[in-house]
Amino acid sequence: MPSMSRRNFGWLAAAMVVAAGIWLSSTPTWAQPAAKRGGTLTYVVFPEPPLLTSAVHTAGPTAQVSPKMFDGLVTYDFDFNLKPQLALSWQVGDDGKSIRFNLRPGVKWHDGKDFTSADVAYSLLKVWKVAHGRGRATFANVTDVLTPDANTAILQLSSPAPYIMYALASMESQIVPKHIYDGTDPQTNAANNAPIGTGPFKFVEWKKGSHIILERNPDYWDQPKPYLDRIIFRIIPDAGGRAAALEAKEADLVGMSIVPLNDVKRLEALPYLAVETRGYEYLAIVSYVGFNLEREPFKDVRVRQAFAHAIDRSLVNRLIWFGYGKPATGPIHHGLVKSYSSDVPAYPLDIAKAEQLLDAAGYPRRANGVRFKITHDYLPFGEQFVRLGEYLKQALGRIGVEVEIRNQDYATWAKRVYADRDFDLITFFANNASDPVIGVQRFYWSKNFQPGVAFSNGAKYLSPEMDRLLQIVQAEPDEALRKAAFADMQKLAMTDLPYIPLTHLDMVTLYNKRVRNHTLTADGIHANFADVYLQD
Amino acid sequence: MNRLGRYTARRLPQTILVALAIAMVNFVLLHLMPGDLVDVLAGESNATDRAYLDDLRRKFGLDQPLPVQLLSYLWRVVQLDLGFSFRHNMPVATLILDRLPATLLLMAAAIGLAVLLGVVFGVTAARFVNTAIDRVISVLALVFYATPVFWIGLMMIVLFTIELGWLPSSGMATIGGSASGIAAVLDVARHMVMPVLALSLFYVALYARIMRAAMLEVLRLDYIGAARAKGLTRGQAARRHALPNAVLPIVTLVGVQVGHMMGGAILVETVFAWPGIGRLAFEAVFQRDLNLLLGILLLSTIMVVTINFLVDLLYAWLDPRIELS
Amino acid sequence: MPGSTHALSSHSPPAAEAAARRGFWWRYRRNRPALGGLLLLCAIGTIAAAAPLLAPFGPWDMAGAPFLWPGEDPAHRLGTDVLGRDIFSGLAHGARVSLSIGLAATCAAVVIGTGMGALAGYLGGWMDAILMRITEVFQTIPPFLFVIVLVAVFRPSIATVILAIAVVSWPAVARLVRGEALRLRRTEFVQSCIVIGMTDRRIILTQVLPNCLAPIIVIASVMVATAVLTEAGLAFLGLSDPNVMSWGTMISIGREALRSAWYMVALPGVAILVTVLSLNLIGDGLNDALNPRLGAD
Repeated sequence: MPSMSRRNFGWLAAAMVVAAGIWLSSTPTWAQPAAKRGGTLTYVVFPEPPLLTSAVHTAGPTAQVSPKMFDGLVTYDFDFNLKPQLALSWQVGDDGKSIRFNLRPGVKWHDGKDFTSADVAYSLLKVWKVAHGRGRATFANVTDVLTPDANTAILQLSSPAPYIMYALASMESQIVPKHIYDGTDPQTNAANNAPIGTGPFKFVEWKKGSHIILERNPDYWDQPKPYLDRIIFRIIPDAGGRAAALEAKEADLVGMSIVPLNDVKRLEALPYLAVETRGYEYLAIVSYVGFNLEREPFKDVRVRQAFAHAIDRSLVNRLIWFGYGKPATGPIHHGLVKSYSSDVPAYPLDIAKAEQLLDAAGYPRRANGVRFKITHDYLPFGEQFVRLGEYLKQALGRIGVEVEIRNQDYATWAKRVYADRDFDLITFFANNASDPVIGVQRFYWSKNFQPGVAFSNGAKYLSPEMDRLLQIVQAEPDEALRKAAFADMQKLAMTDLPYIPLTHLDMVTLYNKRVRNHTLTADGIHANFADVYLQD
Repeated sequence: MNRLGRYTARRLPQTILVALAIAMVNFVLLHLMPGDLVDVLAGESNATDRAYLDDLRRKFGLDQPLPVQLLSYLWRVVQLDLGFSFRHNMPVATLILDRLPATLLLMAAAIGLAVLLGVVFGVTAARFVNTAIDRVISVLALVFYATPVFWIGLMMIVLFTIELGWLPSSGMATIGGSASGIAAVLDVARHMVMPVLALSLFYVALYARIMRAAMLEVLRLDYIGAARAKGLTRGQAARRHALPNAVLPIVTLVGVQVGHMMGGAILVETVFAWPGIGRLAFEAVFQRDLNLLLGILLLSTIMVVTINFLVDLLYAWLDPRIELS
Repeated sequence: MPGSTHALSSHSPPAAEAAARRGFWWRYRRNRPALGGLLLLCAIGTIAAAAPLLAPFGPWDMAGAPFLWPGEDPAHRLGTDVLGRDIFSGLAHGARVSLSIGLAATCAAVVIGTGMGALAGYLGGWMDAILMRITEVFQTIPPFLFVIVLVAVFRPSIATVILAIAVVSWPAVARLVRGEALRLRRTEFVQSCIVIGMTDRRIILTQVLPNCLAPIIVIASVMVATAVLTEAGLAFLGLSDPNVMSWGTMISIGREALRSAWYMVALPGVAILVTVLSLNLIGDGLNDALNPRLGAD
């Protein structure tokens, strides 16, 4: 049993354990015996992945496709316990400033070369710390990786960084072959488009705009897995087209809610299709309304509270997300039980109260019934946000706020909101990740007001009290104290309301019932699919 | 051929100038777009590190002043180098060549079908002018002409894939299929039916109407009367004399409409997941993959110019009286 | 839509020569499909103009239960959309927006195109060469792709959509007018105007343009139709103004519900179809009525 003391992985592990807590109550499907060999799985992704390794680019579709070809050092079971993958065992030094990995011997790259500690050292120091969007921050404390022998890699840290142990899954930090990447620019290496990994499936073909084909790796270390002969990833740009492909049995699986949500119930009723909403726990996605606190009407907290009273969150959940989610109470997803608190100021739908607040704030209705005009820039990630914008325009119109919706593509949106700061009201969603320190803190922390960086503290919420609470949750090892600080943090967030949390979202995986074992862990369809088999 | 040679010699420099002008217009226009490739990449990967974004910009050459970027771009174009797509991690030329055949196939089939059906329907309508047949064809033509192409596409998927189960909903071939030879061709053909129909119906309608009008006009001309006086039947006169002349306007139109059809191809490729260049261009807009987009725009310019040029030649060949100007 | 004018030379009635001597309206009226088209368009125009009176709800009001089928609820005769907005109200208000976009884009294109074409054709020489090269530049870039780029660059709003459509539409007008101007320049009446010392400006405005009017009107009617279709295509791709309800917007809203509620896409689709159809019938009728010479040759 790999040893790692609670104290060393601290709060982060604790939060992750609980995040996956809901898993324990459900019957695990992987307990079924007799997996069948053979067959081709057709899996629909969209948008097309930019590259096929998340070592250099962690786009969502890349994180779905690439783990099938690359194993990580470790993987995580339902309760976020570490499980061996390429690393057989690990020890964290007593001072927390070194992490030793004993690597699985005899693992080969798809081109037949041996996988060794040199690959680990190279990937961490030359790829993750340089070319990986989040890796720079995650591995900032790693100063060197020692490789005393081919099967041992020792991370040297300037100071303890327990969260590193939770960034080692394949979808986040992939180990790339040093013999292919060394001496090249990792970002533009041709192998990013035709990867050579250690995982259960080998790259065969990528026809841009159409499909990616992977085939079974016969030399995979975990025999008799993988069970599938092939995985075909199809790229289908139209949401209705994706649903049609599933319905016509041309495709087996679509994840991440990229089929029309209004159609899911109908598709689920088909005898050969089923829906899975688990497997997204570590994402914990929440949608928010954000204010520009530098602009006039929103400097007044009463205006923000009035907006919160005017927006019917349960209607948003029902009509816009078709019930695949829960109305949000606060900024932290309810699934993150170790940090979530429901003891926060609530803002039930109350038009009269909203009108009172606006009157009190000094924005009476003028002769034309309008109090003031604002613009609204929705995050251009799919139809739901367009509908949300249309709803907000109606809902705010009822309290005398005239909204002009602005449509733009993502690059324009990001520049307008985060670089030019030319906005009043935005909507966006973001994953809370496995711990609010990773996924939520960024919106509330004054130090993360970073113009030009998307999904930073775009509201420009600057509160010394909030900063103090966030510092506690970053460092506090005691779970109870930490949870208390989180509770205070949520109370403050819902009092000051720089953002109105709208919905805690469920993601939908729609699949053909012949596909078994696709969602076994908290990373669900983002796992390596070595266990997946087809049962007709 | 001497005449054509002189014409070519005169047209070519003009064409190159137009192409360069288009490249410049596109370049300036595209750089007016707010945000850049790095914003898109960072947004996708949740990168939160300013220094990382700056590094990427340096690497992609996006930190250079715009005039410098423009000059280096034009210099590359002159050397026929389309540059590198950092988004796709591939040279632009490779990427385009990879996707172009699908669109060419789609467009060629659609044009072929449109001309064929358009001529048949047009001639039939003219032959039976002011009868029920004529009216049915005219009404159908108007309806096809007026229906949005993506709407027809969506409706066809519902009918032919979901309800009837006759045709695959999307894609260009059965992926990973083992078919080869005739079977592979048939497989692609099955995938092509709906996209080609969706793309061509508008043009079928257009060409049918033009053809009908042209036939009626030509049939009234003196030499047809003369031909009939020589003892040719009405049908013979139509086939031998009227048809070749009536086809002329369609030939011109095909040239003009190649660019127009590419627009339709974007919609059709979206609806049917057809892996062509229209969709590639569309995505390049939103991903700020400017090298790629510029490459596609330049290529389509060259394509349109070339086809128009060929059409001019064909026209001259069909009707020697026409002056190449 | 470059080249679609070719579609307009329809057959002429046998008594065309006699008809040519009578009035325009008399000739137009005899063309029954054209008359039908005009009546249809008038009906659509009336609905558009009277939308606030005819429509029971605002186009964005979430007035009822979502996903109501046509006929299911008497309060929403044509049903409701994904957020419970009344589809009939959407269609009525959408008529305003879609027709306005079509008309505005066409007006802009006609103004630019006529100016460029008249100057090029009348002045000739290097002016013609330059203006025609510019026209060629705009005509060579695939129009729909160009519209997408323009709308993306300047952000989708009703103004940018109109502008972008106009930018790709004017070259067709310019070419047409240039051809007419070239022809007219050689006519005796223009030549005599030159001889008596009329300024170029005056000749273009008083002699050339009025004589180009007929083909311009014909091409314009078809351009309105094309603009309506283009706007719908843009909306399908998500590039529309989210503040105004056009038929294209309605299609893009209903598109995700295509399988469970196809009427949401079908109804605005039919509205577009009928409008484009009537505009084309009118174009045909105008062409026949304005060019009585055609049949008489």
